[in-house]
Amino acid sequence: MRVKLSVNGSVYEREVEEHFTLLRFLREELGFTGAKEGCGAGECGACTVFLDGKTVNSCMVLAVEADGSEVETIEGQALNGSLSDIQAAFDRHHAVQCGYCTGGMVLSVKELLKRIPKPTVPQIKEGIEGNFCRCTGYQQIIEAVLDVSGQAESAGKGELKHA
Amino acid sequence: MNPIPESVLNVKGQTRYIDDLPEAKTLLHAAVAASPCARGLLKGVDAGAALALHPSIRIITAADIPGVNQLGTAVADEPLLVAAGSEWGFRGQALALVLADSVSLARRAAGLVTFSFDELEPVLDAREAAAKGLIILSPRTQAMGDTAAAFASCATVISGRVESGGQEHVYLETQAALATPAEGCAMRVISGTQHPTGVQEGIARVLGLPMHLVEVEAPRLGGGFGGKEDQAALWAALACLGARVTGKPVKLVLSRKDDMRMTGKRHPYSSDFRIGVDSGGKILAFEADYYQNSGAICDLSPAILSRTLFHAASAYRIPNLRVTGYMCRTNLPPFTAFRGFGAPQAFFVIEAALDAVSRRTGIDGAKLRRQNLLCDGDSFHFGMPVENCRARLSFDRLVEKVKWESLRRNIDSHNAKDPLVKRGAALMPICFGVSFTKLLMNQGGSLVHVYKDGSILVSTGAVEMGQQVSRKIARVVALAFGVGIERVRVERTTTLTVANTYPTAASTGSDINGMAALAACQEIRARLLVEAATLLGAPAPELSMESGRVMRNGSPTPLSWDELVTRTHEARIDLSAHGFYATPDLVYDMKSERGSPFAYHVYGCAAVTASVDVLRGTWRLDSVSVVHDGGESIDRAVDIGQVEGALAQGLGWALLEDLRFDEKGKLLADTLSTYKVPDFHFMPEKVDVEFLEGFPNHRAVMRSKAIGEPPLVYGIAGYFAVLDAIAAARRTAVGGEGPGLYDIPLTPEKTLDCLMGARP
Ligand code: FES
Ligand code: FES
Repeated sequence: MRVKLSVNGSVYEREVEEHFTLLRFLREELGFTGAKEGCGAGECGACTVFLDGKTVNSCMVLAVEADGSEVETIEGQALNGSLSDIQAAFDRHHAVQCGYCTGGMVLSVKELLKRIPKPTVPQIKEGIEGNFCRCTGYQQIIEAVLDVSGQAESAGKGELKHA
Repeated sequence: MNPIPESVLNVKGQTRYIDDLPEAKTLLHAAVAASPCARGLLKGVDAGAALALHPSIRIITAADIPGVNQLGTAVADEPLLVAAGSEWGFRGQALALVLADSVSLARRAAGLVTFSFDELEPVLDAREAAAKGLIILSPRTQAMGDTAAAFASCATVISGRVESGGQEHVYLETQAALATPAEGCAMRVISGTQHPTGVQEGIARVLGLPMHLVEVEAPRLGGGFGGKEDQAALWAALACLGARVTGKPVKLVLSRKDDMRMTGKRHPYSSDFRIGVDSGGKILAFEADYYQNSGAICDLSPAILSRTLFHAASAYRIPNLRVTGYMCRTNLPPFTAFRGFGAPQAFFVIEAALDAVSRRTGIDGAKLRRQNLLCDGDSFHFGMPVENCRARLSFDRLVEKVKWESLRRNIDSHNAKDPLVKRGAALMPICFGVSFTKLLMNQGGSLVHVYKDGSILVSTGAVEMGQQVSRKIARVVALAFGVGIERVRVERTTTLTVANTYPTAASTGSDINGMAALAACQEIRARLLVEAATLLGAPAPELSMESGRVMRNGSPTPLSWDELVTRTHEARIDLSAHGFYATPDLVYDMKSERGSPFAYHVYGCAAVTASVDVLRGTWRLDSVSVVHDGGESIDRAVDIGQVEGALAQGLGWALLEDLRFDEKGKLLADTLSTYKVPDFHFMPEKVDVEFLEGFPNHRAVMRSKAIGEPPLVYGIAGYFAVLDAIAAARRTAVGGEGPGLYDIPLTPEKTLDCLMGARP
């Protein structure tokens, strides 16, 4: 089937097999390898992308279902090469270890902050609970989110204190 | 333009892991057809249905292997592909390799390959294996003093049984390899491995090549945790076999499900202990038998068992001790290295024994532990003297920090009032030996080039998998040359630049490789300073390098780094060097089980609090506090991340991660929905990590201490915190002591069983 969609603002049109997932389409056909396959079964969030303004697990969406949609991937976050605020906060707070979960994590945070600009810690946890990280133990990710949402005081002390 | 830090590439989604690399037009994708039951005798492979699927499909079996069909190093029990006429040892073992021109085709075809075989009776339980004599190598014992005599003089002697389950690594990037045939019969492989030389050696054996015809590169890994140490070789060697047979590049990336059912995990242990104390609670004697479930393949089991034995006494002084370990061969997947490497299992046993003593005698757990802590002047049971011991220091600091006594009182008064939610707390020290327990592995090399424009390239054996070892090494190098870190690039590890390396594991990655890099830097630095002395007409001993400039007696000279490099090159002096480091002072005699196998020990202490919902059996972690002895950190933010990540894995192992097999040896928890790993909600609101300040470690690079594994052990305190809450409930509901069986993971299901008295 023929699929036409936009990714990070550019339009792509390709012939695609019906069973192809959006994740594989992005990675293998269009070269957007920033979305990762961690499980291929909707369980880890490493493949998170924006589809028409909402985050989805792209391993659970067929490419043909995304026909006519606007897709946003991690590659589209740094404008003119400079990091988005969320990306910069992840870097600053060392919220990245192996990096495999990071792209999906950053996009889920973006979606959360669109809904709740100043989330509490429980809201952060709930907002990005679908993203799984095996390396960090999550604390430095939560700190990065607190910081980028202008709650840097709580990121540096109190609940999440690092002596 | 300077190199972009890896963390920036990561947040931009630009890091290239193996499956992200551009694909050659001729690339073939591979999948593995695996054994359908836990134990069987392979008679034949029927590929008809698979081949009928598509003309691009190729099936490769053991008969196609040009070299030796063997990857096992300690014991020759690991065929690349099981050959017809031989037995396989676990469900999910590789029997045939399937190639096709797309991943989905290859995976579908693998599912269509069928086998004729005789199904054989499997053994799944470690003790049953031991009883049947299915022991790998031979049992190993370490002892000190005379336990029999000591037990006779104890006021209290308690025996008990301890179980700890396996643990799946769940590195987020699954195992992967990309093999490309090169000129002649050489092979180039990109392998997701922590041990490039090990992979190189395995491929060389299987293809019948000398090692110099096999080039292995390890790119950045999407997590390793020990799971890509020996366990990466199989996938890389299979990809190479496919590439050799077809002459085309072959990529093998395991699906999550295949990764979970086919690859190794943390060893389950079943152990017995006997502990004796005097009337004041001083430990006089301790004995333990550890039945290590080694799975079907020996893999790294001997080294792991050895670390178990070395850590039997944890941070405690035990004058009479006798511990024996058995490597039990079963028909489960090959259990392997996982962060902690046999030590967590040993820590759990001694902590269980102390818990039993505390509950039986009524001596407060913290008091009991503190009075038995190691001090300088003691010696470990294998004869190594205890030096620079920080056991009491970190223990006391933690007790003060969490205000342990009032914390305990608050919990008790809460528990007296609230019948539905019980709270519990536990505290535990650690003492973790750093060095590979296999002496020979404590060596590493490096290659440092200073290019004539002043930029620096470093290669070592250290594989980057998120622990930021490259950042640490870059820092060491930058400091050695007195330049900014942006002048240094740390190259990915390949067997072309540094040969005969050992895995990035045992927490020694930056210790060994940082030192090897430093050795090379010092050589080049000395040459540069000789040239600087000539240029400045000053004696070399007065010169140093700092802030991109040559300094004389600490004050800047006009000679900059860039100019010095150019002038040294013009003088035809070599700006490259190879460095080597072998950890000094390590000695061990396996016969007498005596020696000093570790460069140093890492100490620390953790306290965990938890609440249990008495009606539902669900628990919640309330807080984790840690005081950790990390030496002088090369990078504190990195070290904090290592502690927090290790904590999550340790707590996950202790409470959550339930690696279940059915009675026929089939893994039931083979997806991320059936195998639960810590998520955002699992970790407590309060995680407080403090490092002991002002205690440099003179036995490692830049006075630091290894950080990767030791903090994982703190997770065990999570188990005891939940157990403490259960005990509070049972004191009112059932009455009595601690559990008759200490059993990790303490899942909500087991918690409920304990609360209802369905478990001892
Ligand atoms: S790969 Fe899509 S959720 Fe895991
Ligand atoms: S950084 Fe490795 S999985 Fe999150």
